Amino acid sequence: VIVQGTYSFNGTRQAVWDLLLDADVIGHAMPGAKRLDRVAPDRYEGLMHVGIGPITAAEFTLVIALRDLDAPRSYVMEVDGRGRFGFTRGTAEVTLHHDGPATTMSYRADLMVGGKIASVGQRLLDTVSRMLTRRGLDAVASELTRRLEALQPSEQERSGDDAGGPAA
Amino acid sequence: MTGPGGVIGRRQVRNEDARLLTGRALFVDDVRLPGMLHVAFLRSEHAHGRLRMVDGSAARRRPGVVAVYTAPDLGDAWRPGPLLVAPVPVPGAVFHEATQVPLARDKVRHCGEPIAMVVADSRYLAEDALGDIVADIEPLEAVVELEAALRAGAPLVHDHLGSNLAAHVVQRKGDWARARADADHLVARRFHYDRGAAAALENRGIVAHWDARAEELTVWDTTQAPIPIRNGLAQMLGLSQSQVRVVAPFIGGGFGPKIMMFYPEEVCLAWAALHLGRPLKWIEDRQENFTATTQERAQIHDAELAVTRDGRILGVRDRFLHDCGAYDTYGLTIPINTQCTLLGLYDVPSYESEFSVVFTNRTLVTPVRGAGRQHGVFVMERLLDIAARGLGLDPVEIRRRNYLRPDQFPHDHGILFQDSAPLVYDSGDYLPALEQAAAMIGYDRFKREEQARARAGGRHLGVGIVSYVEGTGIGPYEGARVTVEPGGTVHVATGVGTQGQGHYTSFAQIVAQSLGVDPAVVEVTTGDTRVFGWGTGTFASRGAVVAGSACHEAARRVRSKVLALASELLAVPVSALALEQGRVFVRAEPARGLSLGDLAGRANPLRGAVKPGTEPGLEATAYFGPDRGSTASGVHAILVEVDPETAMVKVLRYVVVHDCGTVINPAIVEGQIQGGVAQGIGNAFFEQLKYDEHGQLLNASFMDYLLPTSLDVPAVEIAHGHTASPLNPLGAKGVGEAGCIPTGAAFAQAIDDALGPLGLEIREIPLSPSRLFELIEAARLGATARASRDGAAVRPAAPAGETA
Repeated sequence: VIVQGTYSFNGTRQAVWDLLLDADVIGHAMPGAKRLDRVAPDRYEGLMHVGIGPITAAEFTLVIALRDLDAPRSYVMEVDGRGRFGFTRGTAEVTLHHDGPATTMSYRADLMVGGKIASVGQRLLDTVSRMLTRRGLDAVASELTRRLEALQPSEQERSGDDAGGPAA
Repeated sequence: MTGPGGVIGRRQVRNEDARLLTGRALFVDDVRLPGMLHVAFLRSEHAHGRLRMVDGSAARRRPGVVAVYTAPDLGDAWRPGPLLVAPVPVPGAVFHEATQVPLARDKVRHCGEPIAMVVADSRYLAEDALGDIVADIEPLEAVVELEAALRAGAPLVHDHLGSNLAAHVVQRKGDWARARADADHLVARRFHYDRGAAAALENRGIVAHWDARAEELTVWDTTQAPIPIRNGLAQMLGLSQSQVRVVAPFIGGGFGPKIMMFYPEEVCLAWAALHLGRPLKWIEDRQENFTATTQERAQIHDAELAVTRDGRILGVRDRFLHDCGAYDTYGLTIPINTQCTLLGLYDVPSYESEFSVVFTNRTLVTPVRGAGRQHGVFVMERLLDIAARGLGLDPVEIRRRNYLRPDQFPHDHGILFQDSAPLVYDSGDYLPALEQAAAMIGYDRFKREEQARARAGGRHLGVGIVSYVEGTGIGPYEGARVTVEPGGTVHVATGVGTQGQGHYTSFAQIVAQSLGVDPAVVEVTTGDTRVFGWGTGTFASRGAVVAGSACHEAARRVRSKVLALASELLAVPVSALALEQGRVFVRAEPARGLSLGDLAGRANPLRGAVKPGTEPGLEATAYFGPDRGSTASGVHAILVEVDPETAMVKVLRYVVVHDCGTVINPAIVEGQIQGGVAQGIGNAFFEQLKYDEHGQLLNASFMDYLLPTSLDVPAVEIAHGHTASPLNPLGAKGVGEAGCIPTGAAFAQAIDDALGPLGLEIREIPLSPSRLFELIEAARLGATARASRDGAAVRPAAPAGETA
């Protein structure tokens, strides 16, 4: 499965970078995440529930290792998820670009999916992956908005409702 | 064998149907024994990986779990399975043996390969416990694509073999180089055939029970080969053959995969039942079936046909790759079938055929109904269609010009068949079947008027007419025992198992014919090694031919005993006696006679003396082993409508003219053909096992793997030819696979015909609406490109165009 796209955050590159590497933020943003802990500076471990088609509650243990960190520009995630109903392994490349006052993220994940998830959920895998990615990024964007509002309420008021939103 | 009033050839209602339709037939899952435990298997979800560690300790602690076994627990019972079929002794042939193991030990080689086994109080508990097992697998790059698998540096399915080549065979006759040089017209093409599932209604299932007091192991198994399973299990478990009883009861469809042995589950359940002293049951679920039951069909052919200007075949050369999956337990049977069946009904003076069998990280390949024959037929029929188009000949005409004539039989093709015997066709009369099929589908009128009229009305109709042979009824042998019981019923026991073929009726008819009884009073037992312990199994369309001939011979011997005894008791010569309607009587004096039941009672006296040199009872056992297989043949004609916008294909009519020699029961033969055509239509247009580049099967459910439904399969219009086989006393040939062998070729020709102006050329099976849509789009582009290049040959995605 390949999931790729761009996403526009209404915040600075550094602010987005900090959020993306915050286990607490990601743990809450990631759909179905039950837990995500930063066990080393470049390693997270967690547990998530995913439903795809006829598989309604697949539980995965998740290990995410970060490499090639180039703050606040880019990094690569190595993803290794395992569960009773299958597994997923692969990498996701994340790059952040200046886009005026905003930041555009481009991402490309190349994941191998196996087991029951692949053999009976294949038909829905693409759409579910895209939906989960987008929902997760939406959640990060609202967290970003919340933080920025907390820091600079007056500035945020001026920018109105334009915060965040998917660009692709 | 047929004759007026004869039982053979009669459209007899099936003896087994009452039991089947009222739910009284025993299937493996109906076996419920006191104290029975249930088994589930942990299966690899990686296509290829190094198995570093399996830890079942947490699963063992789960309440309700009785045992968890991994490979080391099996001890001496852990060993690779036997090579089922020895490679055909073609000079220069290469064969590297690698057979499956009961539980994976160092490596996993396909998704679905069993790694561990859980025994628990219920299947639910066993399934839950699978989640407690930790299997540490280091994923390896998977071998999936056939050509890539043979390249240097490809990952290896079997490390010790040094390459993924499982076998390499060349068979030749005549002089291909000369044929090619002499040809007026050459056609060279690449053809693809992809995997499909047998998708039997009933999945596999096993119940194993060790009776410690009787010291007997009983295994109920959905196998097509109960006797070889018994023999193998006895050897593996250190028991004598008489201590093992294998029962193959009613089975909801075999189609080939159930002839495979040993499936890991067969070994594991028998071993664990002995080990635990408790009855065990495992019933395969549909999800398991998709990766754990054997599959068939992936081949890539590069074929070339040399013909004269008037369409006569000078020679064929074919090079193909055959995907055997992760293990090559079934030897060379499928690719040899392909190699031999390609020659079809045709007089082919020169033939050069070379194949390589390739290991991949996919489920094992073993014969599935057709067993490689459809590939050969597809290649040959397509080559002829393409040549006909190039020569401006009608597809029917090019076949007409190349059929073997009746005076060319027996016809020795000069190569070896799957049974290691020379490929010699016993008998055949092909042209009448072609003419009859063409007449039945209204071929000439369709081509002359109806097609153009339909097209003027915006409808795209096409006709396909193809022919095939089916090598059937091979050895080594089968046996049967026929017994007349004192109650007057006749009992027949044979070793072949039954999976819906109507054996209870066909065998009854054969025996009834000799014994002058109503087939309804003939009881048949199949597939119980305790009842009959000699034989091989149900495969290669051989049940009626081989076991049927044994039934015939045993019945004939019983008839002699009946008449001899009656002659003695009635004090008249045998020649004065008649045997009809269960009674022997003096022909000139019909009131004087004895019933078969009375005679059976008299043949087994409680006092007095049985004469030396005679046997008690009215019973005989006979065996039949043909020298080689008999060759059935036929022609399929199909009328389709293609919607070029949606690429949906509707089968409007389907005609089969089939010649299986003596027809024992026309209703059963027609059922086999109708069912085979349904399976063939699935293979041609619906069913395809889709693997990704990592060896993951992406459509392992009936949501995504499409079986044809009753709406997609028309009622097949059937006519029978009757060219008797000289190789068996019945004159019979097999029919089990005929319906599905040429279906893909028929589809391809008909779709090409329906979309004629596009210049479409189908070179792959299975199709699907979406794949056909792509091909139609490519043909449209090609047609445009051709037009702009003023007729230059452009065929998108074709490796080779017409070369002469």
